Parts: sequence; structure tokens; C-alpha cells
Amino acid sequence: MKDMTHSADAATVEEALAADNHQGIVDSEGATALAMQNTLLTPRFYTTDFDEMDAIDVSPVRKDWDTLIDQMKSDPNKGHFKKNEDWDHVDWDGMEPKLKREFIDFLVSSCTAEFSGCVLYKEMKRRGNNEDIVTLFQLMARDEARHAGFINDALREAGIAVNLGFLTQKKKYTYFRPKFIYYATYLSEKIGYARYITIYRHLEANPELRFHPIFKWFREWCNDEFSHGEAFALLMKTDPKLTSGVNVLWIKFFLTAVYSTMYVRDHQRPAFHAALGVDPDWYAHEVFTKTSTISKQVFPITLDIDHPRWQPGLVALQRANADLDRAKKAGNPIKRLTASMRAAAAFVGLLTIPAIKHQVPASTRLEPAY
Amino acid sequence: MGWLTKDFETAPCEVEVSHRFDSLHAHVKFLNGAVINPGDEVQVQGPPVMAPYGEIVREQRIARITRASKLEQLWTRMTGDFEFMELCEFSFSEEVAL
Repeated sequence: MKDMTHSADAATVEEALAADNHQGIVDSEGATALAMQNTLLTPRFYTTDFDEMDAIDVSPVRKDWDTLIDQMKSDPNKGHFKKNEDWDHVDWDGMEPKLKREFIDFLVSSCTAEFSGCVLYKEMKRRGNNEDIVTLFQLMARDEARHAGFINDALREAGIAVNLGFLTQKKKYTYFRPKFIYYATYLSEKIGYARYITIYRHLEANPELRFHPIFKWFREWCNDEFSHGEAFALLMKTDPKLTSGVNVLWIKFFLTAVYSTMYVRDHQRPAFHAALGVDPDWYAHEVFTKTSTISKQVFPITLDIDHPRWQPGLVALQRANADLDRAKKAGNPIKRLTASMRAAAAFVGLLTIPAIKHQVPASTRLEPAY
Repeated sequence: MGWLTKDFETAPCEVEVSHRFDSLHAHVKFLNGAVINPGDEVQVQGPPVMAPYGEIVREQRIARITRASKLEQLWTRMTGDFEFMELCEFSFSEEVAL
């Protein structure tokens, strides 16, 4: 059955006026639909050293690699991202406005991230010639596009239509070295898993706090993230240089940057966390602990998140960041400078906490266990 | 490609925009084998490619590629890495207050 036309999908005013949802609107629901906001997705575009990626030889990890790829090909979550009877009604109109704003920010940001991941993986798939690598990126692009579609649907219910018209705007391609893509994407996938599963388990124990049905889908969703992380772990395992020598410093830098950014961003969304009954400090510690345990599979160090300087450093960074924003909005260059310097000092403070070293196991493969 | 001058070229491309429940994606494929390098800009010509909800749209279009100067390409290679946080997903935008 063809969907009804909706003003949110219209390219022109005339089309919007002719859309099905525009007829005879008298109730507030109809009015909301008409006022559907149009959010232009703005993914980023990257290039990398595709020859270097093509040169990857997965022979040293062949057995684990084939198992993982077969598992991804079998697509265990294919039927999962469907709305069923578990998708209960969402009272968007009754939602507290601050919570609604923060939750929509969560949905739009997550949708953009999945979408950008899809663009990146698809580009790698297209530019590569190495069969192993091409297959992996194709499978990951599939998952990301599926997640994006699922979130998009939740957004439509909230009256927000994403606009995919960005292709006809000028877009610049930036560049990342392959190893930066591995470190950042590996961590992003694994921390994403830890974030989603922590919320999922928390809501399993406290179902009355689940203010939107999308959280019920978090477990399978994050299992996809987990598999993607596994693939990047295996990629890093093919070349021991990636996780030794000077690269250990890069790994420490990435871990610190990702953990502290997560801390700062979560603390900027108090209503979201309050509604879930989650203390962002507890949540951060929980997610860091899980991510550190998982990342031992491939990284030879973990951050010392129980160090006496760790938590105060995060708090200082978060405060400096909030002050920086206020100074920017107030147009105060002096306060802006001092806040920037405080933020930089706090970050350097975190970075200089000695890391915990440990032995990396010979085989990296893990299954989601939380 | 000059050290400071930008070159322009056009390339036929296929644009695929999927606005479906099972896949939300948008891709451009160059049909003449054009390769994008760091710092280059790409713009698909014509009106926005709009896929109505539930549909997938494929269209042949022309893309205009603005080639970065040699200097810009080097600069992008050197500095692109610093934007790595873009690759990470944090669930929320960087806006401090909404």
C-alpha cells in the first residue's frame, strides 16, 4: 500500500498544500502534522587512503573474521527493526517541553550519526577492491541505514521530517588517515554499545521510566554496534603496529577525548537523564567501565577512571565548556579566552593521568555480555 | 592541478536516495570513474532529489566537482585528522543548551 502524501515530504509549497494531511485540519494533531518541522540532515563526507585500506590482509585473523562476517551476513536483526505491538503510543503533546527538546535532539543526532556512518562505510565499500574489506563495509552500511530509517520513523511520529536534499548542496570532503578511522570508529561503536545496553538494562529494571518505546529496541540495536566494533578490533589486530609504540599515545588521546566528550554532552541534557531516572555521573562511570573492559580486547591500555584526578577533571571540563558557551553567546572575548584555557587545561589534566597497562589477548573475539 | 588554483569539472552521476523504513540513505556514484580527493567539493546539479516517505529514488544527474588546489589538498590531509570527533557518535548534538 502506498503511503499517504504528507506535507513534510513535499518539495514545494504547492505540493505541501496538496498533501493528504492538509485536508480539513481542525484538531491539534492535524495542526501538529501541518507544522511538521523540516530538519535537513547534514552528514559529513570523508576520504581516506583507500590504497592502504586495500592492502589490509586479514589472513592472521581469518578464522575470527570469517565467523564474524558470516554472522553479519546471516543478518540476525533483519526482522527486528519493525514496529510491532510493543511500540506503544507516545504522548508527544503531553511531553514536558524541555524533555521533548532534549529527546528530539537525541533522535536527530542519532539519526545523523547513523546516516553519516552509512555514507562513510558505503564510500569505503565503493572505493575499495579488497573483497574482505568491501564485504565488511557493505554489511555495516546496511545496518547503519536500517538504524537511521528506524529513528527517522520515530521522528516522523514526533512531527519531524528529515530532509535528504543535502546532495544538491556543495559538500567538501575532508581526510582521515585509516588508523584514525579505526580508533575513532572502534571506540564509537563500542561506547555506543555500552551506552545503549546500560540504558536498556536500567529500563528493564525500571519499566515505568521508559517514556518512549524506542528504548525497547536498544538491545538488538547495540548488538549491531558491538559487531561493528568487533570488525574494527580485528582490522587493528591485522597490524600489531597499530596498537604499539607511538600509537599507544594516540589510543590514549582518543580514549580521553571520547570519554570526556561523552561526559560533557550527557551533562548538557539534564531533562533527558532525569526522565529516565539516570544520574549522568553514575551513567558515565558505568559506560566507561564497560567500554574499558571491552576495549582490553585490542588496546594495550585503559584509562584510570578511578584515579583521584579523573572525576574532578571531567567536572572542570564540563564547567569550562558551559562558561565558554555563555561567553560566546554574550560576546565576551575575555571570558571566552579564559574559559577556553580552562577547558584546555582540564583536558590536558585528564590526558596526563597515567594509563593502566595490560596484556592484550591473542584472539580478540568477544560476544555482547552485558 | 595548480598549487593555488582550483579546477572545475563535471561528471555524470547516479544519485540514490532512500526514504524507507528499512533504509534511510543517500549516495552519489560517479559514472565516469571520477575520484574525489581530500579537499575537493562536490555538488549535484539541479533541484534537490526528494524521495517521498516509503520510496527510493534513483536519478541520473550531473555533479560539479571543484578540485582543491595542491596546497589545499595538502592542508586537508594534514588537518583533517583533527576533526576525528566527527566520526564518533555521542547521542546528542554539541549544543550546550537547547
